[in-house]
Amino acid sequence: MATLSFSLLPASLLRMHDALVCLAKYSDAVAIEAEYNLLRLSALNSSKTAYSAFIFEADSFFEKYDFGLGRDSGPSQSRSSRAEKFSCQVYIRALLSVFKGRTTGRNQDTAVERCEFEVHEDPDETECRLVIKMICGLGVVRSYKLTYESTTIQHAVFDRSQATNEWSIEPKFLKEITDHFSPSAEQLDIHAEGTKAIFTSFTTKITDGKEVLRQPVHTSVAMDKKDFEHFLADDGLHVAISVKDFKAVIAHAETARVIITARYTRPCRPLQLAYDFEGIRAEFTLMTTGEAGPEDAPTSSRPVPQLSARQAPAPVQVSQANSTTNARQMPPPRSRPIRPLTGTSSRATDPSTQATTQPTPSIKFDSLFVPADDDRQWDVVEEDEAEAEDMLGWDATADTDNPDTLGPLLRDSEPSLRDGDPMDLSHQDDMGIPPTQRISQLHGLGLFD
Amino acid sequence: MRFRTQVVNTATFTKLVGSLSSLGKVCWMRLEQSTIRFTIIPDQGTQVWAELPVDSIFEDREYIFESNTGVINLEVPLSALHRALRSAASAKWVQLRLTKKGKVALLALTVRSTSWAKGANPLGVGSGWDDGTNNTNEPATAPFPAAEEEEQAGTALFPGDAATSSTTDGRRERETVITQEIPVKVLHESAVEGLHEPRCRDPDVNIILPDLFQLKSISERFTKLATDSSPATKSATTITTSTTTQSSKQAGSISTSGGTGSSPISPKLELSANMHGSLRLAIATDALRISSVWTDLTNPALDPSQLSQSQMDQLPSERMRAVPGDDEAGWAKVRIDGKDWARVLSVGRLNPKVVACFIHETALVLYVYLPRSWGEQDSCLTYYINSYMN
Repeated sequence: MATLSFSLLPASLLRMHDALVCLAKYSDAVAIEAEYNLLRLSALNSSKTAYSAFIFEADSFFEKYDFGLGRDSGPSQSRSSRAEKFSCQVYIRALLSVFKGRTTGRNQDTAVERCEFEVHEDPDETECRLVIKMICGLGVVRSYKLTYESTTIQHAVFDRSQATNEWSIEPKFLKEITDHFSPSAEQLDIHAEGTKAIFTSFTTKITDGKEVLRQPVHTSVAMDKKDFEHFLADDGLHVAISVKDFKAVIAHAETARVIITARYTRPCRPLQLAYDFEGIRAEFTLMTTGEAGPEDAPTSSRPVPQLSARQAPAPVQVSQANSTTNARQMPPPRSRPIRPLTGTSSRATDPSTQATTQPTPSIKFDSLFVPADDDRQWDVVEEDEAEAEDMLGWDATADTDNPDTLGPLLRDSEPSLRDGDPMDLSHQDDMGIPPTQRISQLHGLGLFD
Repeated sequence: MRFRTQVVNTATFTKLVGSLSSLGKVCWMRLEQSTIRFTIIPDQGTQVWAELPVDSIFEDREYIFESNTGVINLEVPLSALHRALRSAASAKWVQLRLTKKGKVALLALTVRSTSWAKGANPLGVGSGWDDGTNNTNEPATAPFPAAEEEEQAGTALFPGDAATSSTTDGRRERETVITQEIPVKVLHESAVEGLHEPRCRDPDVNIILPDLFQLKSISERFTKLATDSSPATKSATTITTSTTTQSSKQAGSISTSGGTGSSPISPKLELSANMHGSLRLAIATDALRISSVWTDLTNPALDPSQLSQSQMDQLPSERMRAVPGDDEAGWAKVRIDGKDWARVLSVGRLNPKVVACFIHETALVLYVYLPRSWGEQDSCLTYYINSYMN
């Protein structure tokens, strides 16, 4: 099986500790993946809206790095690409506690001089452990054995070449921005306007009445684009991410004092914050929410229409867009004529599932997250209504054999349902007691005698 | 209904809101053409009625105020406003205005703050990337104008920077515009017309309080000692040591949490004063009785122009003045909640003069005059503190 061992000098150890502290803000568990030329620590948050990864280059970051696969799955065999690496998952607090005392060592003589990290994995052994040895001064060796879980690791894939918006900035400027935000701020909207880049914190929680005063303060900070190393983003394009995730990135980038680069395309597509330093590549892929900008086609930025863009011919998409904007005023488009056009779409993306509250398979978002993901988490609550109207557009191709999957709005005017009405009546006839039957006729039933 | 103004005295405004926010979550802010009033009426504890002339915190000429009734009444969340004002700490221009987003009324605080940044000007022609690399190599420094200015002027002369031929001499002024939108509620006149400033009889003793910071720390210490000593297991001797050594005081404070948790009644401070310049702060529990006395304080005279001589003689304070200084009968006493008192004294950050008016066994009224407005009757914060029964 796989063998992995590496050692770190104090400076690198500090960097790895910083990375773990940062990852701990995303998830309880850190995924460790070793390949021949790199070690990757990554974390995906529970709602799968944020993925962060630190990639440590084998050559430049480590003092020594050895990775090999056992005789069963040597590199020459290359049975599958999956076997080319070792991957496991560790409880992040457990790993952090290993690093504890690194800085608070009271005695400078016994400060950590080297850290050795080994994986003991062997099917013949009863104990598979991560063994971490802290070689300290005066011959003190602290060793830790951690249990781990072998899993397959999910990655967020982000295609940088697709990103049309990009800016870079020193983290201290971003820190300044977030310092102004209310501690209870949840979301951060980013957009450019003229010579300014505007960062606005907001919250999607709806409050009314007395609760109004408890609503978090909305803060907007407008910064000159000159403060950026470079700034190339469409004016008026709004993307929103979680403030907490954003702050976690800044906090780490500040320790490294390295320029952050953000790349994104449009709302509801991932945004990546990335920076490289000292043989470490840090990447944070965050899902964005938001509405289409004025210059965008109305269908282009919403997640659901986006799916249609890949499956349905363009004319259909347009007609759907028209119907979505006027969903309440217009009767829904007839389903039969449209259906054949998207008839090739697989069952997994059956529109009827999207008409209901079931999650949209978000694997289509740049193949970022697993299908089980709950699409509603991306939504800005304030837009729920609008979103629901958008969803109606999909009902046009709904499964008419199963009208129950349609929303109540559609049901009222759905032609096929009118056919169902007499059926309901006949169903009642079967009961033998029409609703207008008088009680006097019920003699003999033993109930009203 | 329109309200827009420029905040000129940001520091005072921030401190005022800060000290108010320790006493209540929300305040009633009453805006008028020439005055602003902040009122806090908590369910329990101290009431504050603060009235300030507009020009004490806002720019007179930039004050735009329109209302059919001549008044705008707002309910403002104090901690949110306080936090928002912190963004204005180093600002050169601060605007406050009443606005609306959807159905929610907002107080929008717009702050222009400037700072100096290194000459990274990548949007300029050519030199952008060079500047960028320079920037990364240099240690990150906080871009605060005053402290960094000289130092950065020095680095600007450094050959490396000059070689990039930056058009901005290696540094430039950067401006950030921060807008804080604080949700508020506009109160209808009918909602507030029932609210009146408390009325009470003429005070028995008027006295100018000593340094509030000193008073606050002694009060807090007394409160803590009394809280620590309230569990029956503690003996009086332990308390004696805790007053003298720092370490045992720490130990005592740890056990405090248990003590306060079990007994919801926090200890009551006895505050008393006479018309001979003495103020006494005392606390008594089963285990201890401690007091501090200040002497040679000032008993301010009332304005003779407002009262006739006969009226003056009728005042209880004049009768109290007649009582000799060593007579206990000349002391007016109130019992107040230790924690509430500490929150009241947080107004000390404004560095005010405070006249305390004692109404024996009834109430304590504090008139807090801001430094600039000392002597002006129209710029005063009034605190009404009820006395607890013995």
